[in-house]
Amino acid sequence: MNHIKLLLFATLRERAGVKSMELDIPVDMTIHGLKDKLSSDFPTLKESMKSALITINREYAFDEAVVPANAEIGMFPPVSGG
Amino acid sequence: MIMNLPTIYSITEDEIDLNDLLAKITLASTGAAAIFTGMVRGETSRGEAHETDYLEYEAYVPMADAKMKQVAEEIRTKWPVIEGIAIVQRVGKLYPKTPTVLIACTAAHRDTGVFEAARYGIDRLKEIVPIWKKEVSTNGEFWVEGEYFPKAGE
Repeated sequence: MNHIKLLLFATLRERAGVKSMELDIPVDMTIHGLKDKLSSDFPTLKESMKSALITINREYAFDEAVVPANAEIGMFPPVSGG
Repeated sequence: MIMNLPTIYSITEDEIDLNDLLAKITLASTGAAAIFTGMVRGETSRGEAHETDYLEYEAYVPMADAKMKQVAEEIRTKWPVIEGIAIVQRVGKLYPKTPTVLIACTAAHRDTGVFEAARYGIDRLKEIVPIWKKEVSTNGEFWVEGEYFPKAGE
């Protein structure tokens, strides 16, 4: 298993009710797999997950990417700074 | 070629001090600065007309810092004549008329692309820098969500 830290922001943080969590996931889990797992573990996140942006170690990442050990994963809606 | 060109980027809860930032990005050779600042709009007429009591900003700070640095690097690649760059986003609870963001670029002259560089900076910040705002009014609160989906390598 790989230990990872998940950070949630904006709507995802509010819907999950937490801003971060630590998880153990299978070593070959992809971003797609992680999104599926979170959708099922946290049904309130399921809808947000469809348009969520994902980052691995502070760089944008996509469905097919494998989540590395000790990764810092960010999940959030499209950004709206300014 | 001057190697130590000033580049400032920060996420702050403090008031944005334009004069201080401008001084920091002004070189002996600088003759022009293009400054964009955005503020909280209390009354919106474009689209669905509404009033705003305040905006509450949050950021993924270490990544936002890194992406602001990336925006500055992109500006320098596209407009090598740019001398200084400042990119500042204020976060927390911000009320109408309050500046929330500032992008400033300096150059020797105004016809060097300095306006376009500042415009690019704010557009890019709104695409890739992980910051969000929640709009709060008497009608309730809702998160403003962007429309841009970054591609690999962004």
